[in-house]
Amino acid sequence: MSDKRFRLSHGTLQLLLSAGALLIMLGAIFHVQPNAMSYFGFTLLFKLSMPLVLAALAQMMLILLGDIDLSNGAFVGMVTCITAVWLDPSPGVAVIAYLAAIAAFVAMGWFTHARELPSIIVTLGASFIWLGIAITVLPSPGGTVPGWLTGFTGWRPPLLPMPIWVALIAAAVSQWFLMHTSFGTLLRATGGNARAVQKAGWSLSRLRIAIYAMAGGLMVASGVLLSGIITSGDPNVAPSYTLLTIGAVIVGGGAFVGGRVSPIGTVLGALTLSLAGSFLSFMHVPATWQIGAQGAILFLVLAGRVIVDRRKLA
Amino acid sequence: MQIGKSILTGALALAGGAVLAGQVFAANGLATGDTSTKRIAFSNSYAGNSFRQIMIKDFERMAQKAVDEGKIAGFTTVSANNNVTEQAGQIQNLILQGYDAIIVLAGSDTALNGAIKEACGAGITVVAFASGVTEPCVHTVDYNLDSYAKAELDFVQSKLGYGPANILEIRGMAGDGFDKRLHEGVVKAMAEHPNYKSVGEVYGQWTGTVAQKEVAGILPSLKKVDAVLTQGGDGYGAMQAFKAAGRDIPIIIMGNRQDELQAWKDQHIATGYETFSLGATPSVSQVAFWTAQQILAGKKVPDFVEVPLLEVHQADLDAWLKVVPEGGVLDADYDQKIVGQIIDANIAGTELPSVAAPN
Amino acid sequence: MQQVANMPVGEMGAKAPLFLAGRGLSKSYGAVKALSDTDFHLATGEVVGLIGHNGAGKSTLINVLAGVVARSGGIFEVLGRDAGDWSANLARENGLRCVFQELSLCPNLSATENTRLLHPALKGFGWKQRARKTIQSALDTVFPDSGIDVDRPVGELSLGERQMIEIARGFSVTDSPVRAIILDEPTSSLGAEATRQFLEQVSRASEDGISVILVTHRLGEILAVAHRVVTMKDGLVISDQFNDGLSRSELVAVMGDLEPETRERRDAVVRDVPVFSHSSGLGDHDIELHQGEIVGLAGLDGHGQRERLRAVFDAARVSGLPVAFVAGDRVSEGLFPLWSIRDNLTIRSLSALSRGGLVSNEAADRLTQSWFERLKVRAPGIATPLLSLSGGNQQKVLFARALASDARLIVLDDPMRGVDVGTKHEVYALIRNEAETGRSFLWYSTETEEFENCDRLHVFREGRSETILDGERIEPNAILEASFGGLYV
Repeated sequence: MSDKRFRLSHGTLQLLLSAGALLIMLGAIFHVQPNAMSYFGFTLLFKLSMPLVLAALAQMMLILLGDIDLSNGAFVGMVTCITAVWLDPSPGVAVIAYLAAIAAFVAMGWFTHARELPSIIVTLGASFIWLGIAITVLPSPGGTVPGWLTGFTGWRPPLLPMPIWVALIAAAVSQWFLMHTSFGTLLRATGGNARAVQKAGWSLSRLRIAIYAMAGGLMVASGVLLSGIITSGDPNVAPSYTLLTIGAVIVGGGAFVGGRVSPIGTVLGALTLSLAGSFLSFMHVPATWQIGAQGAILFLVLAGRVIVDRRKLA
Repeated sequence: MQIGKSILTGALALAGGAVLAGQVFAANGLATGDTSTKRIAFSNSYAGNSFRQIMIKDFERMAQKAVDEGKIAGFTTVSANNNVTEQAGQIQNLILQGYDAIIVLAGSDTALNGAIKEACGAGITVVAFASGVTEPCVHTVDYNLDSYAKAELDFVQSKLGYGPANILEIRGMAGDGFDKRLHEGVVKAMAEHPNYKSVGEVYGQWTGTVAQKEVAGILPSLKKVDAVLTQGGDGYGAMQAFKAAGRDIPIIIMGNRQDELQAWKDQHIATGYETFSLGATPSVSQVAFWTAQQILAGKKVPDFVEVPLLEVHQADLDAWLKVVPEGGVLDADYDQKIVGQIIDANIAGTELPSVAAPN
Repeated sequence: MQQVANMPVGEMGAKAPLFLAGRGLSKSYGAVKALSDTDFHLATGEVVGLIGHNGAGKSTLINVLAGVVARSGGIFEVLGRDAGDWSANLARENGLRCVFQELSLCPNLSATENTRLLHPALKGFGWKQRARKTIQSALDTVFPDSGIDVDRPVGELSLGERQMIEIARGFSVTDSPVRAIILDEPTSSLGAEATRQFLEQVSRASEDGISVILVTHRLGEILAVAHRVVTMKDGLVISDQFNDGLSRSELVAVMGDLEPETRERRDAVVRDVPVFSHSSGLGDHDIELHQGEIVGLAGLDGHGQRERLRAVFDAARVSGLPVAFVAGDRVSEGLFPLWSIRDNLTIRSLSALSRGGLVSNEAADRLTQSWFERLKVRAPGIATPLLSLSGGNQQKVLFARALASDARLIVLDDPMRGVDVGTKHEVYALIRNEAETGRSFLWYSTETEEFENCDRLHVFREGRSETILDGERIEPNAILEASFGGLYV
């Protein structure tokens, strides 16, 4: 009985860790700048986390499978270019391009598994393909995005700031889907023990295609939001997403072994990592130290996780 | 709520500045509205090369001086790692931190528009410099590359008259934006000198060794070269190429690098050689800083403020050579007074003031 | 070769219709014939024991029957109809279930969620409640009072508990009935009580008309519940016998093994100064290991033997004593499946094989080759990836890794899980030989008969070493008695 209680606390402990890191940083920021503790402040602090949250969930889907996506940033960048070139003048073309992008991503995933190649290599290669397509579509940063999109990203919804709504909804929907629906359970099973799933008579290819398609869809949504925020497209807008999203999944309690990820944790991880930079500049950490200090924050959170895991084993 | 209040305060301050504008001008055209409580931030897209590092130091030195003199209350610098989303995030942080003005060296002409618009909306003065931010609410402080080319040819004209003359152009790197714009300036300026003939173009990549190799390669095919137009960093190599080929050294416009100025001086001592040097300075960050301060103080500033290039003439060569760091680029501080003059010259459309040589 | 192949199904089988029947089934992997021209049939409600050496083709046969592996040739009928392109999905739809040797649960999912994998009907609103009820009632039927938390990720459970879940899941029912179940070494991690419950369940299922194929090395279990025993060797069925008074030695003889003669007791170990001594701090017996001594840790499953084994290993390692560990859960703890036999075998000995900082390939080859031969590993050569070896042969490589090292103390964590009788006896002999040369062994096992090889035995109860048995006193009844604290038997 006591065993059960301890397990529950461990499950939540992982989440509390990222949530705790987030709250500590927010607390420090509000201490330095009480103005930030407002609707407007939250909007500004987390605005850029909106696309990152979605991209991190996409990364999570692949890490769920035991894969890893090193093309995440390039793909999102490509979507911003498609958006900036086509969404305004000819939305139909844009939608077709989005679907083609998702199809290409799924094809990459299928290829990885059919040929049993390591995803780390295939996605690294694919990242250059996405970048190449992006540069072809939009050779230099710019373009225009439709007014409704900038209007949407700049929208001030009631009760809570937009980024908080996005994070809440993304976390709730993905948590429900992956952890509580029967299909989500199948997807997690595929990551946990693919052979068991196969032996139980399911089609692994279909499950994997479904996962890659969802990841592609999430990245398209991420790219569209991002281009709404920066009001343009840029092939190189999001190279840091690749590592930030992986970091978000891991900080949020995921593991590279496959099958072990937490959607809520991933969303919290994405918020934590996107706030880390702001936190440092509010703390007046000199610019030259910030990259290192950001790494230190990541390190601290992960070290906390290791301690939690140790306690579980003990 | 609190933010709302601060927007209001900001707006009031601006309005107050405008109302007072007539009364607070000092004799030299500087606005003297009280900015002692204001804080100015510098958002920089990249800090990873020496030019940017000097640029940051120039800003911080001048801003610290302003703090010491009670002209502003504080300042900060944040650099993104050549990543526009990171820079956009940093600008949003600066808004939250309540800075009154932000000077921006943008990593992209468009990608920061959202963040900059938020800043303007919060009543913050935004001055973009050395970049072409398209958001209309900013003031832009930048060099005019047409002026760069014009100054080069004006000097050539002062020496050679209206020609005829053979001109060799050393360009930067194929496909580069800066190279493209400067070359367009050269084409425009050359159109005003019909007797000048462009006899060749080489790509020197702003590097002495490359320029030397490229110029040495084209020299045998050229009969006579009267002047060499450059883009900076390439003048020393060009001179070496002419020397090595045993050719008369033409007018080679220099680009304010220490090796270029030194070679000019050596040649001057040896043969009485005379030329002219010009270039951008990292201290353009100081111009942006004072422009922002002047806007806060209530001065009316045009949307585009052209910054004069730093020019070195024969008379000042020794003085400049003393202050340029070994292997570095010439830099000069822009104080509040000269920035006021630059703004005024921009308003009046008169010739831009030049920075005086050090004593 | 087939001695009694394809004989009529006998008293109960004659009345009962066939659930499945295969003729001339074969399966080749390249040039290797894992299964050649094999006939096999299974009547409704019949329990068939399938035995044979590791690598005899049992796994291939059941994988073909289960639709996991496509057969290369042969006719296959299910419920009298040609099965055509048989698949795992079709098998499931026809009510055929499998409990595989390499546990086929997803470690990241709970028992409830793992149940969903097997039951497409568990979907839509409220599926989780239904799945929980399904697995819980199956567990309660097969292993009453198991106390397993069905909402906990199975990766956090013990091997025994996982095996219980896997078995219970095999018997669980939602929309379509279970008609037949294939169980591959289902009891390898179960304790005595759970094994008894399992065997009862097999008998019950048979009475309900469910056919069962039971693959196990534990011949006693087969003799207890099987109606018929099929023996395989080298990819062929070599014997098909009804279980009417079959004896253990008959089965062993058919498999080609000799009934192991009772071992000679080795000379008493000289017990002066122990090589290593470990105290738990609980006030129970210290575990002392002398040079050349084989010490066993016995007791009912889950009474702290394993934990103590780990504690001794950790303490020995910290003390600087050269020590090696042989894991029973080889898939998750011991092996690098994609590496070759050689690389797996030499990883514990890399520093001894180094010449000037680089690993000497020749020395590694020599070392591997000698152990490869001593342990009679069945594989084409030492460069073969471990993945392509059968379970027993993989386990031999793990043994060889420990024995090839410089370890003075070798810790065995139930190392014979799922290993056939022949291999076991080869390894027992090897362990005794190594003990003669002065090495010490600490041995935890779930199979009581293995302890006959020990010089001294600690019997655990409720986490403590309560009883020490020495020499002649090590015999099954004494162990059982000590395990139950003398209250039973």
